[in-house]
Amino acid sequence: MNFPFQNLAATRKLENSIFLGILLFIFKVVYPEPDTVLLMFVNELLILASGYMMVLYIISFLEKKVASPIAVILNAGIFNAILFFIITVYSSAYDDPYDVALSSNFIVTIIFIFTSLLLLFIIGYIFVVFRELFFLRQKKSLRSYMNTMVFFLLFTALGAAIKSLNGSLEFIFFAFLVVSMLLIFINSLRVAWIAFLTKKQKLQLLGISIVLSVLFGLNFAYTLFDTEFNQLMNIFSPGFGAYLNLIMLYGTVYFGVIFFTTLFHLPTAEAFDRKSEEISTLIDLSKLITQVFDFKELAETVTTITMKVCYSDAAWLVIEHEGKYELSAVSNIGYKEAETIFNGIGIENYADLQEVLIISEEDATIRSNFLNGFKSLAISPLLIKKDITGYLFAVRKVEQEFDDDDKKNIGAFADYAALALENAKHLEASIENERMEKELDLAREVQYKILPSKTPEYDFLEISSLFIPAFEVGGDYYDFFKISESKLGFVIADVSGKGISASFVMAEVKGIFESISGVISEPAKLLTKANEVLSQSLDKKTFVTAVYGIIDVEHGKITFARAGHTPVLLIRDNKAESLTPTGLGLGIDHGNNFLNTIKELEFDLKNNDIIVLYTDGIPESQNAELEEYGYKRFEEVLIKNSDKQLDYISNEIIQGVTTFSQNSHQHDDITLVLFKWNFNNNKFGVS
Amino acid sequence: MADFSVNVRGSGSVNIIDLKGYLDAHTAPELENAFNKLIKDSKFKVVVNFDELKYISSAGLGVFMAYVEPMRENSGDIKFSNMKENVYNIFDLLGFPMLYEFFKDESEAIEKFNAQAQP
Repeated sequence: MNFPFQNLAATRKLENSIFLGILLFIFKVVYPEPDTVLLMFVNELLILASGYMMVLYIISFLEKKVASPIAVILNAGIFNAILFFIITVYSSAYDDPYDVALSSNFIVTIIFIFTSLLLLFIIGYIFVVFRELFFLRQKKSLRSYMNTMVFFLLFTALGAAIKSLNGSLEFIFFAFLVVSMLLIFINSLRVAWIAFLTKKQKLQLLGISIVLSVLFGLNFAYTLFDTEFNQLMNIFSPGFGAYLNLIMLYGTVYFGVIFFTTLFHLPTAEAFDRKSEEISTLIDLSKLITQVFDFKELAETVTTITMKVCYSDAAWLVIEHEGKYELSAVSNIGYKEAETIFNGIGIENYADLQEVLIISEEDATIRSNFLNGFKSLAISPLLIKKDITGYLFAVRKVEQEFDDDDKKNIGAFADYAALALENAKHLEASIENERMEKELDLAREVQYKILPSKTPEYDFLEISSLFIPAFEVGGDYYDFFKISESKLGFVIADVSGKGISASFVMAEVKGIFESISGVISEPAKLLTKANEVLSQSLDKKTFVTAVYGIIDVEHGKITFARAGHTPVLLIRDNKAESLTPTGLGLGIDHGNNFLNTIKELEFDLKNNDIIVLYTDGIPESQNAELEEYGYKRFEEVLIKNSDKQLDYISNEIIQGVTTFSQNSHQHDDITLVLFKWNFNNNKFGVS
Repeated sequence: MADFSVNVRGSGSVNIIDLKGYLDAHTAPELENAFNKLIKDSKFKVVVNFDELKYISSAGLGVFMAYVEPMRENSGDIKFSNMKENVYNIFDLLGFPMLYEFFKDESEAIEKFNAQAQP
């Protein structure tokens, strides 16, 4: 339910409180001792209104502070002590309780009114503290208990006011008083928040509560009997006097209850502290799942937290990697020592472990001394869908073995840890994939930049070239060099190996051929020079195969040499001829063997001759049955289409290879360069 | 993917490496390990038996290039035997027969080693 003005802004509440306070002050100065029914009514109403507004304001700023209950209680205690001081001063100021009169002295009156306003605030504050503590860590459904009590406190105050007007109506006051007291007792039992304090806080509270209970008791006693203070309160407001009296009672009972509850909570305080730390550690870990992506780092964190979770002296983590269990992280123990214990227990005995297992030093089934001086060992499997992905170990030096609580904690923690580690593993794998893909993209880019962007054009020589990169970048390369008006140099090469390293070698190969093609005109000599250069730079496992040649585009003559490359095919008169002059691959031999064995081949081109240069990506294309495309199919397509345009032939070959290897992905680059001698056709066409 | 295995056995002073299956970039390290072990044990006379090898890639060829030098420097060698035609063609195109000795059967290769050791 909502109380009036409850939703005002805090500053408005303060303004209203001050306004009503001033109004009350003026009223009191004019009528220090209200004697008519109307004046009394106005008096009580003003006090109620200003007191209510103060309470609303105090609630608005205490709500945030109540999270640290000890501090709030201390504040209430200080105000209570001030109240005690005021009561004491009043008591000593007047000798006779019935001798209290105000109107005689104006200054006394002013002081009295000020003090009363202060009391209004103090009691309001103490009440709000009680109210906030009541709701602290409490279910919402109990709100009606507090509200009912507040109403009865008000009724009692009203009853007190009526009583002072007409003594015969005293019974109304007492009836409300009894109910209020009863409700105070009931509400005083709401002290659930004590359980959530740490042991240290509980000890503090124990001392504070006993002092406050006594202090409230004293104040209660003072305000219960016909003391000077009570007389003065009756003059100020009978209702407020009764209200103050009941709040003092509340304080006495409440702090008494707090004292005893805290006392009974103390023995379990430590266990409670542990439990709450365990819970917060578990929460910490679940946060970690989303924060730590590095597997190694996460493994370290897991072992550190394991120690906290079960109060162990050391912990370590073993993770399955390619069928073997490997030590991934240790905490407070050396790798060697952890490995000794881990090997000592023989992990193969725990292949079906589905929950935490505690092994003590005395365990008869285990070989003696394997624990290396530790007294108790806990093994927890890291389970992902019942599969063991690793084990978490914790050991204790102290005599106290791991108990059922520890077992539960380690188990719960291990479940989180297993999940977190699995996530990190997957993430790492996908990052690695992405990195590799970027590398491949770069290699592919290099490859495209190295290859010629267009083929040269001649009257009698038709040229077609085609390059299809594999998913895993290879090291194919081809190029044309215009040596002179009539001479065209060409090269096709294949670097062994794949990936970024192959594409770097390819770049080097391009550099070599570009620079020496203009200097050395004989293909065999040129390849020998290339071998010399590459032998120095290539690692021992890498080689490059190549064909280099020159075509005389005026006279129709071709000269070439082969360095370990796939045979050059000549398609002539519907037949395919495989041309393989001897020659070692570049980088295979570092001595003179290369020079001594390489041969050149030279012949005149006949009309419609097709020269076919390619890399092994074509004949070695495989289908799903790992069968190779081979030379026979390749040659058949060439012969069948030999009278067609070169681009068409290229297309037919690629079609043939793709159809053949349908469901198998292309694992090597494919390069195809075709030359066709069209001398006669063109000559007749022109003339 | 395709399986591959390396087996090393001794025959007097000569060691024989049996290759089986597919030798490519992924399986080449297994062969490298076998060669490393032989060098560590100072066994430099090696015959590689290709009888059950189905396929060899350029990465596989690279392994022999890398290990032939240390063998020859220690008066040993790597000789090849029992090669199927399709595998031999790959070696042949690259010019390996100009640098390595190939034999129809491993016994011939062993004999050659023993004959060289005699004088």
